[in-house]
Amino acid sequence: MSAASEHEVIDHPILDPALAPPFPVAALPLLRNSQLRKNVAHAIDVIQAKRARLVAEKRDWQTLRAAAAAIKEHVLENLGVYLEQFEARCTAAGGTVHWARDAADARRIILELLRKEKADEVIKIKTMTSAEIQLNPYLESNGVRAYETDLAEIILQLGGGEPSHIVVPALHVNRSQVREIFARRMGIENLSDEPKALTAAARNYLRQKFLSVPTAISGANFLIAETGSVAIVESEGNGRMCLTLPRTMITLAGIEKVLPRFADLEVMLQLLARSATGERMNPYTSLWTGVTPGDGPQRFHIVLLDNGRSSILARKTERQTLRCIRCAACINTCPVYRQTGGHAYGSVYPGPIGAILTPQLEQMRHAQSLPYASSLCGACYEVCPVKINIPEVLLELRARVTDDERHQVSRFFDPIYLGLRVANVIFSRAWLFYAAQRMGRIGLRFFTQKDGWIHSLPSVGAKWTQTRDLRGLPRQTFHGWWADRQRRMK
Amino acid sequence: MRTSLFITCYNDTLFPETGRAVVRLLERLGVEVEFRPGQTCCGQMHANTGFRGEAFSQAKRLVRLYADAEAVVIPSSSCVAMIRDQYSGLFEELGNDALRKEFASLLPRVYELSEFLIDKLGVEDVGAYFPHRVTYHASCHGLRALHLGERPFRLLNKVRGLDFVPLANLDRCCGFGGTFSVKNGEVSSAMLTVKLEDVLVTGAEFCTALDNSCLMHLGGAMHRQYAGMKTIHMAQILASTEDQPAEVLG
Amino acid sequence: MSPVTSSRQQVLGRNWAAMRNPAATAEEAAEGYARLERDYVMRGDMTAKACQELFVERLREYDAEVVECAPEELGATIAAQLQSSGRHTFVAPPGLSAAWLVPVAWQISGFEWNIDHDLPMDEIDKAEGVVTACFCAVADSGTIVLHHSATEGRRVITLLPDWHLCVVRASQIVETLPEYFDRCKQPPALVTWISGPSATADIEMTRIKGVHGPRFLQVILVRDEC
Repeated sequence: MSAASEHEVIDHPILDPALAPPFPVAALPLLRNSQLRKNVAHAIDVIQAKRARLVAEKRDWQTLRAAAAAIKEHVLENLGVYLEQFEARCTAAGGTVHWARDAADARRIILELLRKEKADEVIKIKTMTSAEIQLNPYLESNGVRAYETDLAEIILQLGGGEPSHIVVPALHVNRSQVREIFARRMGIENLSDEPKALTAAARNYLRQKFLSVPTAISGANFLIAETGSVAIVESEGNGRMCLTLPRTMITLAGIEKVLPRFADLEVMLQLLARSATGERMNPYTSLWTGVTPGDGPQRFHIVLLDNGRSSILARKTERQTLRCIRCAACINTCPVYRQTGGHAYGSVYPGPIGAILTPQLEQMRHAQSLPYASSLCGACYEVCPVKINIPEVLLELRARVTDDERHQVSRFFDPIYLGLRVANVIFSRAWLFYAAQRMGRIGLRFFTQKDGWIHSLPSVGAKWTQTRDLRGLPRQTFHGWWADRQRRMK
Repeated sequence: MRTSLFITCYNDTLFPETGRAVVRLLERLGVEVEFRPGQTCCGQMHANTGFRGEAFSQAKRLVRLYADAEAVVIPSSSCVAMIRDQYSGLFEELGNDALRKEFASLLPRVYELSEFLIDKLGVEDVGAYFPHRVTYHASCHGLRALHLGERPFRLLNKVRGLDFVPLANLDRCCGFGGTFSVKNGEVSSAMLTVKLEDVLVTGAEFCTALDNSCLMHLGGAMHRQYAGMKTIHMAQILASTEDQPAEVLG
Repeated sequence: MSPVTSSRQQVLGRNWAAMRNPAATAEEAAEGYARLERDYVMRGDMTAKACQELFVERLREYDAEVVECAPEELGATIAAQLQSSGRHTFVAPPGLSAAWLVPVAWQISGFEWNIDHDLPMDEIDKAEGVVTACFCAVADSGTIVLHHSATEGRRVITLLPDWHLCVVRASQIVETLPEYFDRCKQPPALVTWISGPSATADIEMTRIKGVHGPRFLQVILVRDEC
């Protein structure tokens, strides 16, 4: 890849799964970015260390995980019941419930609501779901300016960047880059790069917006079916600003966010902050129910989003994907993510959860390389607070991608596909296996150097030998040695 | 005590010395070892790359082959994990009742090497002598799928002359991941570099593990980089004595 | 069929069809819910005193200032806190009993009190501090829970001012989060759980306190012990 195009990919990552390059290709320039590597490793090490300390002190951590997984599974078993209950209670409390089939439907509904409000600007609480449906560019092209209010989202919005993590989206950006973005876009002279000064700049920049913009858009961490309530978990207070001060609130939430009862938060809240930021509890969690006269927005709309979630629900192994509470613990622990950062995944959802969620939301039409963007080490499953067996889902998705490939002509040009098909035949009979071993030994002799090692291989093998040698095939197999030994012993 | 050895397709082809070591070790401990010639592969490579049907046919062969074995010992955590974690799903989806019953009967008789030594034979001191500085790499399958826990350490601890150095970031994946090592060759290499840093800083002569898959990946880079360290499967350390020191190839 | 109805029917329809049991009823769901195993810690085993000490420790960990007092000293303690804050304009929820802001406090000149009887936003924005009660406090995480009743105030008054003085009674402190939920006779319509001043770690993971929302939290722990 030329330097120019590498730069482009770094500066303008494509997070649309329909357009993003396959993971191995997208990862390549990122692997060469030493600053990114350092920023990512630093960020995830900080969170992981904090998380580990708190998990170690929490004697009922495993039982909390078990309870959370069970509650989420129960919700998925009865999702129709709980969604209808949420709708009824929320409506009774003064909210208006909307349903969106897909991203386009959700965007259209939100724009219509904004038009009714005559809103040409909105303030937003960070929501990955709105990035999933590509809301901001759509609003922008329809004359509505969306102002992000979360510090990381402001950095990305003003700097024209893309999120690379779902909890700390700007972790790939360092302080001098933030300073440059703020100085330029906020028009501040003599701005220092101290995080304290940068944060103060953001605080001042937003204060007026919070007090004046009458319409806000949020996501939701949890929806409570029994009451029709919405819960939002945050650290900065921009969430509280947006959900308290404006006249109208529009909440966008995936249908899988619903919990049966208010009290179920006792499980989720103990797991979420510890998993996401390594705190016993995040600074601010807010819950509201419909409309409360005299307190907060007097108009409340919630858009319940499907966008592929019901297709995940239908599948036995994959439905556990929908348990996700977006804590990013899997992302923080992933040794693959550690090397590539989030942009390699070509989606607003990176890391292990992205590898299973993104292709499924795309109905397996796109992002087919993502289930393979994993060494199946299982670290993600160990830390997931709702016990999603991510490796199990990855394997299931790989089987679906392969089954799809079986019908494509392109399979005849895929050396791994062909190699595995041949290998299957070879493994079906011992004599075929032995014959293949002999042929392999003879064939590889050509590549074996005097030191008995192979330093270079063609085709798929080149991916191995680009950084590793391979010891030449021994003259005698184990089974050959055993057969000789049996003969000798007789 | 009689046991059947499943050598695994890649050990048979690439690391026969590991198999020889397993035989020597077990016979020294008084175990009668048999080797069924029909064996080929457990199906892991196919299952993990999405070739379920193919994996199933290999799994079926394996289960039938060992139907009447007293025990099956396997010097490869990943293959044991395949059998323990994925076979029942394959047989649910593609097999029949008879096959599922056969598998259910076989499953408790399948052991990874360190499990066989510690759980089945009840030994920690296998009478080994290996006077070298050694560090141990925990493969992800051994760590998280088989929960081998302390077993490898307990075995290494009893090896006379062995100078053990622990590995930092023990639970971090080395980046091999089967076909991941070539499908995502560059990312695999980046993960390998990070792992190698931790391994080399131990100053050990040998890096050992219970899986030649990880060792092939680590050892391949060590050789390429003239790193002055070698990899060796733990079976070869445990088989090593004063009279018959370990075969160290390459 | 309007687009709204058809979207709703499609989404709900797809979900019902995708469920393992497409005929599930609310009763069956309730039964399944009741059977869910909850083996996690429900109640803590600390003494009330240890619990209070833990709560204070957690508050101090995130730089909230804590003073303790006996119930009869509350008024004076509030007065003292207000004085040492260096602030003069305060807002307070309408239900805060005048007894709290006892003569001692009212009589200190130089303080301006705005009681929130639907104050306009810019008045609240001008206030330098706010004084409220709370519903409950959770020691394990150092969390103060507001249900925004008349003694806790509308959400805006604990959001805009920069300094929040919260009066927590010892009898309101529980050890674990499930114990808080246990105290809710029914689910509240509005809740704010506060576990520290606002903070961000978005720039190089450097924790910066005080982004939006009060940067200063003061707590008076009233040893009512009952």
